[in-house]
Amino acid sequence: MLTPSAEYEAPDLKKDFIVDSTVEHTTNGQTTGPSDHVLQAGAVDRDAPSEASQNAMGSLRSQLTTLQDDINVFLTERMKAQSNEADLDVERRLLDEGVDEDSD
Amino acid sequence: MTSYLDTRLKPGKDHYLAIGLEGSANKLGVGIIRHPKGELSDCNKAVILSNVRDTYITPPGEGFLPRDTARHHRNWVVRVIKNALEDAQVVPSDLDVVCFTQGPGMGAPLQSVAVAARMISQLWQLPLVGVNHCIGHIEMGREITNAHNPVVLYVSGGNTQIIAYSRQKYRIFGETLDIAIGNCLDRFARTLKISNNPSPGYNIEQLAKKGKNLVELPYTVKGMDLSMSGILEFIDNLAKDLFANKKNKLLVTSDGSKISVEDLCFSLQECLFAMLVEITERAMAHVNSNQVLIVGGVGCNERLQQMMEIMVMDRNGSIYATDERFCIDNGIMIAHAGLLQYRMGDVTDIKDTVCTQKFRTDEVWVKWRLD
Repeated sequence: MLTPSAEYEAPDLKKDFIVDSTVEHTTNGQTTGPSDHVLQAGAVDRDAPSEASQNAMGSLRSQLTTLQDDINVFLTERMKAQSNEADLDVERRLLDEGVDEDSD
Repeated sequence: MTSYLDTRLKPGKDHYLAIGLEGSANKLGVGIIRHPKGELSDCNKAVILSNVRDTYITPPGEGFLPRDTARHHRNWVVRVIKNALEDAQVVPSDLDVVCFTQGPGMGAPLQSVAVAARMISQLWQLPLVGVNHCIGHIEMGREITNAHNPVVLYVSGGNTQIIAYSRQKYRIFGETLDIAIGNCLDRFARTLKISNNPSPGYNIEQLAKKGKNLVELPYTVKGMDLSMSGILEFIDNLAKDLFANKKNKLLVTSDGSKISVEDLCFSLQECLFAMLVEITERAMAHVNSNQVLIVGGVGCNERLQQMMEIMVMDRNGSIYATDERFCIDNGIMIAHAGLLQYRMGDVTDIKDTVCTQKFRTDEVWVKWRLD
């Protein structure tokens, strides 16, 4: 049976993404739906993925959807943390060091 | 003797088959084309075996966002490929090559379709060919209409270009300096909050047919180029005044009646198309051509075709246009242009299949034309 996995590597962090093949997965991902913007505009979702078929390819598709969800959530959080850090850094430099951002 | 075009012909075969995948904007298209061996000509034509399309449609007043458009393409591409194979009555092992749009277009949708192209190429063990979207339009237009060496007016949601062929390049004579004509029409449709089904431009065209009064709009031809963002802002403001019942002397005709939404659509079309006709005529004079080929989604517009025809008739020339199957983005044109490239020896290695949002028409070496 094919089980997809992914590896993430950055200077400060290493992380493996492994899908638990003992539980049920679906092609209906948490992070792969329509964007909030179009839903608010009244979009009717006719582009949902088809359901996974009951074979190796079908289970690969649903496991991949879960893997994609895990990666999306992880990366989004990491980006948020990084941008917070960057904001804090500018604030710290401005307040603590009296650096004027525009004068290089 | 084997023609230079047929060195890649499979043993025992008298034709090539290519599948083309298009997804540079909100249309996902897959087509399968057959080229008989030998040089294509008026009596040795390419045959369209299938041309399937699915369009991502947004609610009224909304444009298509890259993320949601890419999602549409991802979730439909397998089904559309299956339909194209079924319509064409071919199996993957019959095919010679997989062609896909490499640019220009929107990044995320382009990428989704490129991933699908890479996948089927590996699954079916077929070579890949990346195609320039604009070249696809031009070559398909030439093949369908038998226009041999026309001045090409390429008008769509993302592009507005006047193109003429010279020495194995399609050279851009003039183009928009800001937004594309289809974008201008679509955005005005959003202001009016009219339906995006089947396309905003089509609905503007239907409204314009009922318009009677011409409102004078800015006319912004700049040499061989044109600019449309100012016209859009101007007419957007007029529409807002119209909806808010604000007084505006431009919204009253000389006989005192009120300007309608239909009149605005009519005026916008007349103004934009007149600009296109002017630069097309100038390009024809420059290159001494009397043929015009209109391609791209806005090329379906009957009023544009009519206005262009009046000019071309005055010059004793001929006008060529295709219907919506080929004007609007489709997979078959990618299959056709890709197969022309493949027959001339082109193959795109998988490491070079990265899509590019900016890919100008004149970057492509048109090896298959020797004139």
